[in-house]
Amino acid sequence: MIEELKSKLNLIESNYISKIQACQDLKQLQDLQVAAVGRKGELTELLKSLKDLSLEEKKEFGPLSNALKTKLVSLFEAKTAELETAAINEELNKADLDLTLPSYPFNKGGRHPLAIAQKRMTDILSKLGFVWAHGPFIEDAYHNFDALNIPAHHPARDMQDTFFVKNTNKTDFVLRTHTSGVQIRTMQKQRPPIRIMAPGRVFRKDALDATHSPVFHQIEGLYVDKNVSLADLKRDLTVFMKGLFGKKAEVRFRPSFFPFTEPSVEVDVKCVFCEGKDKNCPVCKGSGWKEMLGAGIVHPNVLRNCNIDPEVYSGYAFGMGVERLAMFSLDIKDIRTFYENDIRILEQF
Amino acid sequence: MKILYSWLKDFIDLDLTPEELAGKLTVLGMEVEEIKKTGADFDDIYAAKIVKINAHPNSEKLHLVDLETKDGAKRVVCGAQNIAEGQTVPLANVGSRLGKIYLKPAEIRGVISEGMLCSADELGLAAERQKGIMILDPKIPVGTDVKTLYGKADAIFDVSLTPNRPDLMSHLGIARELSVLLNIPLKKREWKKYKGEGSALKINIHTEDDGCARYTGRIIRGVKNTESPAWMKERLLAMGVNPKNALVDITNYVLFEIGHPMHAFDLNHLEGGEINVRWAQENENFLALDDTQRTLTPQNLVIADGKKAVALAGVMGGKGDSILPETKDIFLEGAYFYPPCINKTSKKFALSTESSQRFERGVDIEGCLNSIEMATALVLEICGGEPSEINDVYPNPYRPAQIEFKPEDLEKILGMEIDRERLKDIFGRLGADLKTSDSGAWLFTPGSYRRDLNHKWDLAEEAARYIGLENLAADGDGTTHATLYFGENPKAVDLGEKFSDALAGLGFYECKNFDFVSQKDLGLFSFSDKTAVEIKNPLADGMEFLRPNLLMSLLKNIALNQNFGRHDLALFEYGKTFSLQKGFPLETFSLGAVMCGKTPREKFFMNPQCKVGFYGLKGAAENILRDFEGVTFQPSKNAPSHMHPKICMDILLNNKKIGFLGQVHPLTLKAYDIKQDVYAFEFDVKNLEKLFDAQQFKKAREISAFPASKRDLSVVIDKNITFDKVRQVLKMAAPDTKYNLIDLYQGSNLPEGKKSITLSFDFISKEKTLTDAEVNKAVEAILAKLKSDLGAELR
Repeated sequence: MIEELKSKLNLIESNYISKIQACQDLKQLQDLQVAAVGRKGELTELLKSLKDLSLEEKKEFGPLSNALKTKLVSLFEAKTAELETAAINEELNKADLDLTLPSYPFNKGGRHPLAIAQKRMTDILSKLGFVWAHGPFIEDAYHNFDALNIPAHHPARDMQDTFFVKNTNKTDFVLRTHTSGVQIRTMQKQRPPIRIMAPGRVFRKDALDATHSPVFHQIEGLYVDKNVSLADLKRDLTVFMKGLFGKKAEVRFRPSFFPFTEPSVEVDVKCVFCEGKDKNCPVCKGSGWKEMLGAGIVHPNVLRNCNIDPEVYSGYAFGMGVERLAMFSLDIKDIRTFYENDIRILEQF
Repeated sequence: MKILYSWLKDFIDLDLTPEELAGKLTVLGMEVEEIKKTGADFDDIYAAKIVKINAHPNSEKLHLVDLETKDGAKRVVCGAQNIAEGQTVPLANVGSRLGKIYLKPAEIRGVISEGMLCSADELGLAAERQKGIMILDPKIPVGTDVKTLYGKADAIFDVSLTPNRPDLMSHLGIARELSVLLNIPLKKREWKKYKGEGSALKINIHTEDDGCARYTGRIIRGVKNTESPAWMKERLLAMGVNPKNALVDITNYVLFEIGHPMHAFDLNHLEGGEINVRWAQENENFLALDDTQRTLTPQNLVIADGKKAVALAGVMGGKGDSILPETKDIFLEGAYFYPPCINKTSKKFALSTESSQRFERGVDIEGCLNSIEMATALVLEICGGEPSEINDVYPNPYRPAQIEFKPEDLEKILGMEIDRERLKDIFGRLGADLKTSDSGAWLFTPGSYRRDLNHKWDLAEEAARYIGLENLAADGDGTTHATLYFGENPKAVDLGEKFSDALAGLGFYECKNFDFVSQKDLGLFSFSDKTAVEIKNPLADGMEFLRPNLLMSLLKNIALNQNFGRHDLALFEYGKTFSLQKGFPLETFSLGAVMCGKTPREKFFMNPQCKVGFYGLKGAAENILRDFEGVTFQPSKNAPSHMHPKICMDILLNNKKIGFLGQVHPLTLKAYDIKQDVYAFEFDVKNLEKLFDAQQFKKAREISAFPASKRDLSVVIDKNITFDKVRQVLKMAAPDTKYNLIDLYQGSNLPEGKKSITLSFDFISKEKTLTDAEVNKAVEAILAKLKSDLGAELR
């Protein structure tokens, strides 16, 4: 009996292996699988005869038939996977899409070029340990002028240069002409060490033309501690300029004058367009240098006005125009471009 | 200010090229804006006579010019149109030098040119202001070396000065500065001093506190007001001043040489035999030298004789007493006027003169006498005449301030070591006096022309300038002295960045607008000009107020872009808005956004019919405000007048209104000339600051590990049930279940007054995979609630 069963087993094996190999249809393959190893399949039926065998015979025939079942099942699985893949590939090949049609037109969106330039500056200054501070646009004359050592008769305080606010109370309010008032507000609130940056809008009564705007942006820096010197200023601002214009940027310091710093300097960067080689360079006008910022050691009167003893503490301060940097770096030639908000400009950045 | 190189050399021996000198001035803090070279910077250019002009065989524009030269007949090719036979012209031969160029042999269009006729530009004689070939005086003999007709090579520097340094506004001042920098002595220019005979005019100063601190004058009688000598005229021309007559020229010459403005009056036009320095009367009329009649106020200082004002002090003289060629007797003035008072007058009349520019910055009060003496010497030398005694009214003589400092103080301020010997040189040359005290301190007395030097910080700047900022080490000592501390950004800054980045990510572009708006703008948005912040001195019409909202700016941006054919826009601005409350101006940060035209979805070629409109902008607002708990949107009961009365929502924070969102009123759009629908929102961020902390990390919420089951549910409800009602029911029926509205239909096959909504739910559990039965039960529960609360019917 066992021999008869063995030959049936061999017959099932050879029969189904060749049928699996030949099958090219997923449905037929499933039917075949049911016929072979399904609940009423040939191999399952054959296994039912096992109960009639002796113990010895069971030990021999059992493993044989189980091995065949495992083999057939794995063959069916492999063939199924093969046919499924083929079917998917066939379906994919039917796709007929013009891939060059216009895409879904997401709006790009973007920050304003001045915001981009300002972020560049605040990012670098943040790395140098400067903390953000801000102050009001409508500033009283004390914070905008007096406390900054700008005397009452100074030309900058004239109606021709500064916007005055018409208000019903007595205080003299102006639209701040620089961000330097934030220095005063910070020093009045906080004892040294102080290391702040204050970016923001400022207002001057300049007629609008290609290089002047009544509204523009500045960034202010202030560092007050013991033993802060002009050499510290030169080091930090050199790092700042190299951060903005690259490690190779050449930086020049020139003496200058501001009422709220003493000594005062101006900082130039070697023209990145002509590198000082073009006598007719439109950017540096042939000078080879581009003025970037004004700076200096905080005037002792300014410290005193904030109750900081200039014999104990010292500090440096600097102010830089955001438009100037943006025009220089983004190659924008007319300052009015920033305030027209023409989408054809905005979408470029 | 202009500086002539050769004039500087009267005071200091310099051996620098003009470019090198410009470099030195820059180091000192003066910006050289232009160097103009003058005089003859050429060699071997000789006068030649044009004999005949022939046509060029190969060109219509060029000529062949036959010349008589010092070397006989020559022929050159020339393209200039201004030449004619018989003219005398400058000829450069092969090898002649023109600046840095040596002329090479040339063949022009097939004809050899034996030299070149020169223009004034090519000769560097720009002052000649001749176009084309320079035509010389026909009396000049052929063969004359053209160089001998012009002065030596010279240079005019256009220098911009800082306002704290009036002492530099002269050749003497610049030379003094260079002498310190280069450590070479300054040459003294001595003028013959005249004691004079007879008294000068009586001088009464009525304004010494804040008008005139010193008035020095002298009469010179019997002068012959001729033409000035050539050397003086040349120098004045270089300064950009046209010579007039010797007396006027001398006062100008003194100004440019030593920086002290002077004035000369025709003595015979002065009445009453006295000079009064006084404030003008209210509405006093004054006719100045520029033929302009001005109405004065008591803020303007005038010089008057016994009867009338004869000069606008320190600014401009009067027409009536001006110096004419026939003037015989003069009164010379050298004074010190207070800077603010001259500045006020100059500004008021927009009248800036060489004189006012110096007085308003502060001239050397000790220089008054010297200026009179120098002018006297020049007048006597050139015009002759008999000087009177000098009347010098100087009630409170200048007392020099002594500054005590230690060299270490300067080193500490600058952060560098300074050589003591060099420091001694600097302050020795710079001041009137330098001593050292027993305690080792230095006692420095600056010259009277340096009243800007008051304390050790000023002296540190001087040291830095003369030593050179380039010699200051840029690495410091390699350490930052500060104890670095951590500080938070102002919240308005972080919020602004958060909103701006979020909106940019959603496809909006950031705008930046001026803060100025017009009365008309205010009116269009129903703002009262009583509550708006007004500018006392606006720059121009339409810029009188500070904007109370951002929308009025953004609408102008839409209008501009629409003109360039850009109708599909999504714009925003983060900026300040202003209001006046109880007389105090207030400002607060706001965020405003507008959207118009087609959204990306409508522009996409597949299914573009569905209009996003209002819901697009609402989506953007919800998106950026999602993290702010307590922010809700509710249909406005009273929409602002600039918004659509029905399509407008209030943005609320804990039921308090902080902004609006909706469609802009068509009439408002019309006023800004915008031809399409615009959707906008704007809100005040001040109240959101409390809810926002950039430093605070958000805590992660637990998420389910089990799959979601999707079910769609279509129900029919009354048309007038808002979606907000549906939302409230769903919140009760299935508070944790996410859903989307995927269809809204109001059409023919529905009963009258009904609409159908299809909701798509995602059922999910944190504990297990939900079975079909459980999901069905949940759907049933939702449906039951919709039925009971809203009368919904399953579709």
